[in-house]
Amino acid sequence: MPQRKAPRATSRARTAVREERPLDRTRAPVLGAPVPLALPELSRFTLSCGVQVALVERHDLPLVAAEVLVPGGASAVPAPSAGLASLTADMLDEGAGGRSAVELARLLEGLGATLDSAAGYDDGHLTLLALRPRFAEALTLLVDLLRRPDFDEGELDRVRRERMDLALQLVDEPRAVANDALSRLLYGPDHPWGPPLLGTRATLARLGSAEVAEHHRQRYHAGNVTILVAGDVTEGELRDLLEACLARWERRATPPCTVPAAPQPDCPRLCLVDRAGAAQSEIRVGCVAAARSSPDYFPIVVLNTVLGGAFTSRLNTRLREEKGLTYGARSGFHARCAPGPFVARAAVHTPVTDQAVGVFLEELERLIEEPVPDEELERAKHYAALRLPQRFETVGDLVARLAELSLYHLPDDYWAGYVRRLMAVDAARVREAARRYLDPRRMTVVVVGDRAAVERPLRGLGMALEVMPGAAP
Amino acid sequence: MNVDIPHTRFRLDSGIDVVVHEDHRLPLVAVNVWYRVGSGHEVPGPTGFAHLFEHLMFEGSAHVPPGAFDHLLEGVGGSNNGSTSTDRTNYWINVPACALELALWLESDRMGFLLEAMDQHKLDVQRDVVKNERRQSYENRPYGLVWETVTGNLYPEGHPYHHPVIGSMADLEAATLDDVHHFFRTWYAPGNAAIAIAGDVTVERARALVQRYFGSLPAGAAPPMVEWPSAALERPSELVLEDRVQLARLVLAWHSPVHYTEEDAALALLAQVLADGKSSRLYHRLVHDEQSAQDVSAWQSGAQHGGAFEIGVTAKPDLGLGVLEAAVREELERVVREGVEEAELGRAVARLEAGFVQALERIGGFGGKADQLNEYLMFAGDPGYVGEDLERYRRVTPAGVAEAARRWLTEAHAVAVSVVPEGRRRLAAGAAA
Repeated sequence: MPQRKAPRATSRARTAVREERPLDRTRAPVLGAPVPLALPELSRFTLSCGVQVALVERHDLPLVAAEVLVPGGASAVPAPSAGLASLTADMLDEGAGGRSAVELARLLEGLGATLDSAAGYDDGHLTLLALRPRFAEALTLLVDLLRRPDFDEGELDRVRRERMDLALQLVDEPRAVANDALSRLLYGPDHPWGPPLLGTRATLARLGSAEVAEHHRQRYHAGNVTILVAGDVTEGELRDLLEACLARWERRATPPCTVPAAPQPDCPRLCLVDRAGAAQSEIRVGCVAAARSSPDYFPIVVLNTVLGGAFTSRLNTRLREEKGLTYGARSGFHARCAPGPFVARAAVHTPVTDQAVGVFLEELERLIEEPVPDEELERAKHYAALRLPQRFETVGDLVARLAELSLYHLPDDYWAGYVRRLMAVDAARVREAARRYLDPRRMTVVVVGDRAAVERPLRGLGMALEVMPGAAP
Repeated sequence: MNVDIPHTRFRLDSGIDVVVHEDHRLPLVAVNVWYRVGSGHEVPGPTGFAHLFEHLMFEGSAHVPPGAFDHLLEGVGGSNNGSTSTDRTNYWINVPACALELALWLESDRMGFLLEAMDQHKLDVQRDVVKNERRQSYENRPYGLVWETVTGNLYPEGHPYHHPVIGSMADLEAATLDDVHHFFRTWYAPGNAAIAIAGDVTVERARALVQRYFGSLPAGAAPPMVEWPSAALERPSELVLEDRVQLARLVLAWHSPVHYTEEDAALALLAQVLADGKSSRLYHRLVHDEQSAQDVSAWQSGAQHGGAFEIGVTAKPDLGLGVLEAAVREELERVVREGVEEAELGRAVARLEAGFVQALERIGGFGGKADQLNEYLMFAGDPGYVGEDLERYRRVTPAGVAEAARRWLTEAHAVAVSVVPEGRRRLAAGAAA
């Protein structure tokens, strides 16, 4: 952080080494207390067009990162048009502001700037990373992409076909097959989060430049976006740059974006997707869980750290470190603007597929049945809390933290209270969260693997098994 | 724009090189340890062993019980990892600054006292983990076996770069506890290691702590010299792999210069001119204009004793690879004949320059400042080489690119691997149309 207020000489790392203490290798060294992260100063201002800007200045390296955040994303698109938010974001640099795609690429590459545009479940975004001397010029190109994309029919046709061919390629990628199958099962085909962000070959085939232009018109305007910047630029400089290219940007009404409730299954499901001869089975265990705004957010962070958020979590310890069944097992709560999925995952050697599924379910059950022991709980809390500084290391990290505040309407002092709120979580809250979100009776299990080898053992788990045909192009 | 990682360098009596860089922006510190051993040093012996051994380094040592390495680090919010290449093995730990001593205690214990706590169970479990890594990252992944096919044909049997770092299933299966002991004694002597520390610590304190934890470790025997025979292709090599893929992909590979040479820089920039970004030649022609390719990629990977220049092209559905190979070779000939434009080269250098500055943002992890210090120390002979490294790219001229392309690519033989959907060998490059 740019420690403009906090003096940096407070670090415990600066106290003298007690040389006279003899080295005893049999014990781990006693550590001093960690120095809390000195959070960088955040400034906010509003442009004359009404767009809100948040800035964290940091001047130690000549780099600036910027993001234009466009709330909406796949959440704003009905399932039959799945892929529209991603396609729109992808089309922004395919010709804009009177320049062709290649002319834009040459200019940006000549500046050494990285400009990406993409869409997620809750937002579209343009992100820029540039050296300070070239930031102003790169920013004007970003604004051309944002405000004046061509959406040329010929270019769109090519990009859409590229994305359809990518969807075709993914039928052979077991991880993608497993993820997509789980989302489809959890949210159903009619929910905006059921199909993949990329869309499917069928939905993409329906999308033309009219749909893309309309999505852009509805979302990419001064009434919907926020701009987040971090790095080697002053507030005055940034304001002048942005006013020069956004002064008269139009505000429109943004259609409301309401994500429908997801179906809640009343019994566990087990789905097998055949991948004949596969050396491993891709396993997913998931359910619809919590929104980013949930009051359970901090208990969930701790719960997930205990279960599968870290290397030493229960899932990885049992499946990898004790048994060697996998290269790694993890879990995560994907908190979004509405309840997002909880997903636990591993790729395991084919012959141990049923055993591994059993371990996943056992570990969920154990979190419900037994309180997390104190020592393990403390380790999980410290893990999550003490990693905070690592999330503020680069200017890109800073912009991502600002975007999180903005997209999920978190207060400016959110990061200042983060450690305190994490450390306040106790075993009872963790167990309560486990009961609410990790009930094995509501879990959907997906296995992408060799049906001939795994079907019979999986049936032995006693869950109703649905066999889905192998992924087809 | 200049790049620099200010540092202090010294050597302990045990022969360990130490480099320290102060960065007080955040209350974090990174410890990074490199050993001069990679999969190339396994020859002769079971393949994949250097990497399997890397896994065992996290499983505890004389004073660190099994599981404690990760428990202690994650308990203070730390993160850690390691990786093995053909030439070296690296390990990194990122922790809050107050836990530097913990990181050094753990690193010194596994450097000095690993074998006291080694047992068959640890080997067996990690062997299974690595076999699952091989399944996950290579066997059960589309196009996953292309890389070992490339190196297996670029280098002759018995050459240190012939086999993949991950090794073969049979060799992993055959590895014994004796192999573990022998490998540690041969390659993991302190004199074969280097430590870089970057972050919120003073040079004085880092020096005192490193001396405390590593100073008493015995230097160990000097590692043996490995023969690195030169390798060249005497004839072109064409291979076809049938795989569970929808789109055919061609990978062309040539021998190329070792890392940190002028020609290595010229070819790295050529790779960008050819396939990095939407204005690059192959992207523009094959993906944008002709729409015969789904994607293109090119890269120069210089290693210590040889390099490989590779170009990958994925065909659109049902399209054969012969047309794409012809187009790629035509573009290479054009580079040799007409050179590249100053502006093209300028764009490539501009992006590299930005990448060099971005790489100064992180103190630890793969590619962070501590890792860079060790990389430059070990392979360029100077931990402070970063500025000179960027200059190396800035010095490249259009004529230099054309000359390197002629010498290493158009006038040399290549390995061509066609990966085609099962049962569709006629899509392969070189197949009769």
